[in-house]
Amino acid sequence: MNEDRLSALLRETPIPREAEAERRGLLMASEVFAQRQTPRRQAFPRLALAVGISALLMGILLSPAGAAVRDWVRNVFTTGVPDAERALTEVPGGGRLLVQSQAGPWVVQPDGSRRLLGQYGDATWSPHGLFVAATAGSTLSALEPDGTPRWSISAASAIADPRWSPSGVRIAYRTGRELRVVNADGTEDRAVDPDVAFAPPAWVPSGLHLLAYVDGKRRLRMVDTDSGELAASALAIPGTLGLAWSPDGSLLLEWTERGLWLRAVSSDKLSQRIETGPPRRVPLPRNAAVRAAAFSPRDRTIAALLRLPARPAGGPHSEVIAVDPDGGPRRRPFAVSGELSDLTWSPDGSRLLVSWPDADQWLFLSLRRAGRIQAVEGIASVFSPGHSGRAPFPKIDSWCCATHSSFAP
Amino acid sequence: MGAESGAAEQTGWQEPPPAKVERRLIREAQHGSGEALAALYSAHWRRAHRAAYLVVHDAAAAEDVTQDAFLAAIDALDRFDRRRPFAPWLHRIVVNRAIDWGRREALRRRIDDPTPGVETGQPPEEVGEELMEALAQLPPEQRAVVVLRYLLDYTPGEIAHMLELPRGTVNSRLRRALDRLGAQLEVER
Repeated sequence: MNEDRLSALLRETPIPREAEAERRGLLMASEVFAQRQTPRRQAFPRLALAVGISALLMGILLSPAGAAVRDWVRNVFTTGVPDAERALTEVPGGGRLLVQSQAGPWVVQPDGSRRLLGQYGDATWSPHGLFVAATAGSTLSALEPDGTPRWSISAASAIADPRWSPSGVRIAYRTGRELRVVNADGTEDRAVDPDVAFAPPAWVPSGLHLLAYVDGKRRLRMVDTDSGELAASALAIPGTLGLAWSPDGSLLLEWTERGLWLRAVSSDKLSQRIETGPPRRVPLPRNAAVRAAAFSPRDRTIAALLRLPARPAGGPHSEVIAVDPDGGPRRRPFAVSGELSDLTWSPDGSRLLVSWPDADQWLFLSLRRAGRIQAVEGIASVFSPGHSGRAPFPKIDSWCCATHSSFAP
Repeated sequence: MGAESGAAEQTGWQEPPPAKVERRLIREAQHGSGEALAALYSAHWRRAHRAAYLVVHDAAAAEDVTQDAFLAAIDALDRFDRRRPFAPWLHRIVVNRAIDWGRREALRRRIDDPTPGVETGQPPEEVGEELMEALAQLPPEQRAVVVLRYLLDYTPGEIAHMLELPRGTVNSRLRRALDRLGAQLEVER
């Protein structure tokens, strides 16, 4: 075979479902294009403004007083937040954390005390924090927060992404490519969809047993898991990594590495259908990669953890932003020269918890008091007892629990 | 490079539109014409999608990568310089994202997912099947240079620019890839 033949083969090799993919893609592109607004050209004023601001900043930073500012910026943003607490003696704002380490999930109590639940993988709180659902290979278990198992079920393949419904009486999970739901007492384990994408499913917050997920054909689907009926279907944003609902269920967030997308969702009680609007892109800084995103548990604010390209003077740059989808100003509670990970809202929506593994710190960022940061250091060793050398940094799973009036577990 | 266009026609291979037509489509799309956008999309989708598939070897991922690249293109449409050709810009996004996906998938499979990630889809025939199997043995970075060179006809210099690599690296990746493909397919250089 010669190079010409190789070239011809590359052009001839059949591509599975090529025409369907093209059709779906055109629909998505047309929807997104229709949402786009043709911008007004204002390059010169913007450029002039940017040059003016840059000159002003340079003037300030090169002055003797500016030197102090530079030092402060360098100290704060590269090596960890100064004056961090040496030990986790409380969870700021209260509540309990579920933390994933190499040894398994830990429950951290409001006073900072912690308990290893056992050799489990993914874990999630029940809505009121009375139980934890945890996976271990192809087993799903419900545990009490002290680690006592209540029940377990087994599946054919490895189980991942357990998600407890807001009503507290269902748990959704993936096994292999299949999406399943089981009652919260371990009974009536049944399939919802045999072929789903790797993004975790998201329960509608209303208390109905309606589950949103992306299927293997890249469709966003909402299914009533009690009746098995399809309530809505739309093309999913390509590369969806996560789904999240606003607390009132009126907005669905789809986030990918490249952006945040919102859809308005409304329900028609007569036809029992859910109407989903076209996806609307949330503006983000250019070239930002999304690492995590979540709705506040209290309102429609979206928090996102972004990674921005390396700057000439250093490595990657991370930012935490808070976005008001109703058009309010975008806030930036925190930014560092370094890699942040995880992003978790406090149950009352007043704080965000992010990890800074290179600084071995957890950062509790207040959204009500701008700029207030409570940092705790020495996190890795706490969750790797007996580990010699540099301990692996744990992953924050969730922060429990919002108080609602229901009988949920 | 031989076109063998008869067989290629059957799989929907398409050449990009003439530069003049493309510039007009981009201008009209920049002014909000949905028809122009659809025409651009149709003119470029299959080549971009095929390139993505040959790098990632997974139909769903290839669809995601290609759609994502088109959404990025729509996002950046107003900043696009109409004097430049559209295809290399699109292919650069597609191939870089396909490489990223391939790396992530390889890592994910190593860590926690025993299910195979390589999907051959409908059973391809004989040599095509051999080709896919041989490509699957290459790391995504090598698949990408093979696809850019032998599917999309870019020169090593152009590939180096698209992937932000030294030209020597592109040549060595091509050489290693062809050596490994040659062992299975007897590719002559």
